[in-house]
Amino acid sequence: MHEIIEQLDRKREQARLGGGRKRIEAQHKKGKLSARERIELLLDPGTFEEWDMFKEHRCTDFGMAESKIPGDGVVIGYGTINGRMVFVFSQDFTVFGGALSEAHAEKICKVMDHAMKVGAPVIGLNDSGGARIQEGVASLGGYADVFQRNAMASGVIPQISLIMGPCAGGAVYSPAMTDFIFMVKDTSYMFVTGPEVVKTVTHEEVTAEELGGAVTHTSKSGVADLAFENDVDALLMLRRFFNYLPLNNKEKPPLRPSPDPADRLDYSLDTLVPDNPNKPYDIKELIIKSVDDCDFFELQPDHAKNIVIGFARMEGQTVGIVANQPMVLAGCLDIKSSIKAARFVRFCDAYNIPIVTFVDVPGFMPGTAQEYGGIIKHGAKLLYAYAECTVPKITVITRKAYGGAYDVMASKHLRGDVNFAWPSAEIAVMGPKGAVEIIFREEKSDKALLAEREAEYKAKFANPFVAGARGFIDDVIQPHETRKRICRSLVMLRNKSITNPWRKHGNIPL
Amino acid sequence: MFTKILIANRGEIACRVIKTARRMGIKTVAVYSEADKDALHVDLADEAVCIGPAASKESYLRGDKIIAACKETGAEAVHPGYGFLSENEAFSRTLEEAGIKFIGPKHYSVAAMGDKIASKKLALNARVNIIPGYNDPIDTPEQAVEIARGIGYPVMIKASAGGGGKGLRVAFNDQECHEGFASCKNEAKNAFGDDRVFMEKYVEEPRHIEIQVLGDAHGNCVYLHERECSIQRRHQKVIEEAPSPFLDAATRKAMGEQAVALAKAVNYQSAGTVEFVVGGKDKQFYFLEMNTRLQVEHPVTECITGLDLVELMIRVAAGEPLPFKQEEIKLNGWAMECRINAEDPFRNFLPSTGRLVKFLPPATNMVAAEPMPGAGGVRVDTGVYEGGEISMFYDSMIAKLIVHGATRDQAIVRMRDALNGFVIRGVASNIAFQSALMKNPRFVAGNFNTGLIGEEYPKGFNASDVVHDAPAMLVCVAAAIHRQYLMRNAKISGQMPGHEYRPGEDFVVLLGAGQHAVKVTHAKGGWDVVFAGKTHEVRSEWQFGQYLYQGTLNGEVFCMQVERHGLRYRLYHWGTQADVMVETARAAELQALMPVKLPPDMSKFLLSPMPGLLTQIAVAPGQEVKAGEILAKIEAMKMENVLKAERDCVVEKLLANPGESLAVDQAIIAFR
Repeated sequence: MHEIIEQLDRKREQARLGGGRKRIEAQHKKGKLSARERIELLLDPGTFEEWDMFKEHRCTDFGMAESKIPGDGVVIGYGTINGRMVFVFSQDFTVFGGALSEAHAEKICKVMDHAMKVGAPVIGLNDSGGARIQEGVASLGGYADVFQRNAMASGVIPQISLIMGPCAGGAVYSPAMTDFIFMVKDTSYMFVTGPEVVKTVTHEEVTAEELGGAVTHTSKSGVADLAFENDVDALLMLRRFFNYLPLNNKEKPPLRPSPDPADRLDYSLDTLVPDNPNKPYDIKELIIKSVDDCDFFELQPDHAKNIVIGFARMEGQTVGIVANQPMVLAGCLDIKSSIKAARFVRFCDAYNIPIVTFVDVPGFMPGTAQEYGGIIKHGAKLLYAYAECTVPKITVITRKAYGGAYDVMASKHLRGDVNFAWPSAEIAVMGPKGAVEIIFREEKSDKALLAEREAEYKAKFANPFVAGARGFIDDVIQPHETRKRICRSLVMLRNKSITNPWRKHGNIPL
Repeated sequence: MFTKILIANRGEIACRVIKTARRMGIKTVAVYSEADKDALHVDLADEAVCIGPAASKESYLRGDKIIAACKETGAEAVHPGYGFLSENEAFSRTLEEAGIKFIGPKHYSVAAMGDKIASKKLALNARVNIIPGYNDPIDTPEQAVEIARGIGYPVMIKASAGGGGKGLRVAFNDQECHEGFASCKNEAKNAFGDDRVFMEKYVEEPRHIEIQVLGDAHGNCVYLHERECSIQRRHQKVIEEAPSPFLDAATRKAMGEQAVALAKAVNYQSAGTVEFVVGGKDKQFYFLEMNTRLQVEHPVTECITGLDLVELMIRVAAGEPLPFKQEEIKLNGWAMECRINAEDPFRNFLPSTGRLVKFLPPATNMVAAEPMPGAGGVRVDTGVYEGGEISMFYDSMIAKLIVHGATRDQAIVRMRDALNGFVIRGVASNIAFQSALMKNPRFVAGNFNTGLIGEEYPKGFNASDVVHDAPAMLVCVAAAIHRQYLMRNAKISGQMPGHEYRPGEDFVVLLGAGQHAVKVTHAKGGWDVVFAGKTHEVRSEWQFGQYLYQGTLNGEVFCMQVERHGLRYRLYHWGTQADVMVETARAAELQALMPVKLPPDMSKFLLSPMPGLLTQIAVAPGQEVKAGEILAKIEAMKMENVLKAERDCVVEKLLANPGESLAVDQAIIAFR
């Protein structure tokens, strides 16, 4: 028996080395950690239970029968992050370049199936050269098996992808279907076709970094939610991010006690909105000063900056924050910002996370670029997302809430549960100047009269009381009591229960 | 006594005057420009009158509007503060004619001291030491050389209308004198339209020491000892203290008596300041000029004398005699003042404007206009509040931080602690610089002159100028904070029953290039951190998200500022800003494998020096640009800022578009 036990130890030791010491060193030289080192950092120490350590591929073509490495390029299993269960797969670049074989795909499917059974999130650490070409269509089938599971798990258990190396071709579509994508700067990239193919087909010369690096995807494309400096930063920050998420769609998001008093007042907010309606201010100051411990986990901070999204806590409970950012494009809604916010709202709704919306929106962005780009459909995504959403929705209008954008931003009409306005709020069809020019078109030539009309309009409509008179605003609140009022509303809504009519699924304007 | 006075000023000094008036039972009227309508002084005063647009010359410098405001509100007297109309002879005369009292010297005293050459003559007559020199305008270079020989080198050639470092030359021999005279005269003509130039002895290792005087309408005049104001940056005072570490009792008395003699010579009836330059080598002192107003740095004098200068000014203006004699004036302990300015010391003191996102002054136990506690303490004079604005229209002072201690050393310790606890975010502040000065060996020893800052920081002020004295403090506090976060993570709901997270106690602290192993355990009221074989007791009630980490370390009270940036804790202490990471030993081991990423070489980019709107890019890719040519224009705070090429270069790529809002340090143009 002794010998058999020792044999197990030996086998494990060998399997743990993956592609061998040399390849691990090569991985380190590239500034990357090995698949198991990554899991070690991601999970609570000593909690990882590995499965299928000895699984091998079944390919016999191209001499592959002689080349077998236990584990076949991916490490799977489960463990905990701050005591909470999570399933993990971590692709091992030291084994066949992390290429996906049929067996490799089966392992990924195995953790996903288990995660679905028990209702726990899946985190994928991607570092793979692509399909195992030697296996041909078997490898492609493996991808599709994973894709199918991604789709089935969507909205049931949170799925997070951390891209820590190459992720190209069809392989990108698994992360693309997960809820969040994080990347590591300089060592990860994602694209459907690489720079060489791009050059042959479109004659564009572009580096892998420019085409699909972390900076590209967190600023230009918006594919990725965050980029981190290196593997260690990424994995440790992912632990922090995980703390916000519920384990599955039947659970409430986790509670983590906060010493920050719910009734904390912040008088500096009384001067946040400038007197001049055209002067910008930083909406993030309001977010930071309203949430627990001034701690806001922002997502996509460099993409579509005219809207701010991210997680925070109020009285220890996770909330999703959506806010127009007057500092960028005056906070207006455009294609990118609508898509960014819509997807986030839907995630929160799927996982029972209340949504707090801060509104200062002058409207939708005009122009041919927007219209040709389909702002009608893309803007409708955000409208649809808010409208179908059944989690608690708290809205605070700080300044402008003009036109259709007012309706979109979690208005009362879209089943907003509690809608507050600051005294500086202006809820109207449009700004005073534009409105007057339309209403008093005949008097357009008379500048003085127009100015008078504008002042009149301003006095009449540029305030929250017109909307308040109709009940579209539940209360006009002092800026300094914003946190307190939101916290109370959230507690009041804790047992909120509404359901949408049965259907196979809605048809969001994609 | 007056029943209502108007304060013709803004900011901290207006607030400070209002506080004294209120204590005296006098009603107050504030005046404000449109830019100041939400300012603190407006809030504090009983009444407030708007006197015009933001620009000073259309508001705070408009004597007519201020007089109208007096009439409108029934104010019987005006306190001018400092700056603005405080030394405007015409204004005080007009006030007097309108039957309103000016809380300051009589207009003739102001006039007598207003002209540099005339005031020197007055001083000479009053037997005040003046710098050996020639007090008439000099006409030719030859005459200049002759006079210089008579005075003895080195000499200083000065423009009559000069100031702020302009129109000044130092000559050590005939040739330098000849050349210096010509260029000085030229510069004076161009800069001030007044080419009168005079000459005086150049004082080596000069210290700027000034005497506070106070006179009344009954012929009494006393001196309230000196203030040492030698710590200056580009002729702007940075730190002031009283008394001076340089003066002995005899010199103090001699300077005080001469200052009183001068004040009496102009029948001075208020608080005023006689400035002297004192030779660091020979202790010889010479009269420079008299400031006929309340000075910014008056609080240090209040601390050591226990007197409220504003109250005394008001009483004197109301006709009361001084309630004490020279012999009764105390010199108690040591006081210091740091001017906290909205400027970034790490960016060559570039002024910073904008919203005060966080403004949390240190705990104070002294206030203006109240008797000082016997053991001294901390006082903050300010005119701003959290959420307020540092406007581009006025000076950049955010606050004055004043401490009082029994000794100079105690005052320095108090100042260091107070600076640690002063939280300002949203605009940059010079707190790190002040903290660095507070531990500069020459400053601490009192061995300095007006050249200290230039000599100690010849290349400007850099982060490397502030190395932390006790890095163990940073290590221990960061470790304690980290453990506190982990302990809370352990309380998150939804954990696997029976397999809950238990944070470890052993960590590695990454500070700079160093890795330090620590063990952190929970103790009553804080944490015990074992570091380098010693147990450090960190005790604090700090909670997540708070900027101030206050508590004790091994029984000693301390205060730090902390921010969390991603995985790193940014600690601010004694002028040092340190990014510290705390992690498990295993994580630190793996972290060591991570590549060191050098910050990109930004010398090949044009960076935005300030947040603002890019209004124009004047170059195109591929274009050759010569040094001095315009590259781009940025509009910030309604001001156009022109960015010029610092050297010859070729434009590679434009990285921003006109109309775009720029963040500070955002790249605008890449060069080849």
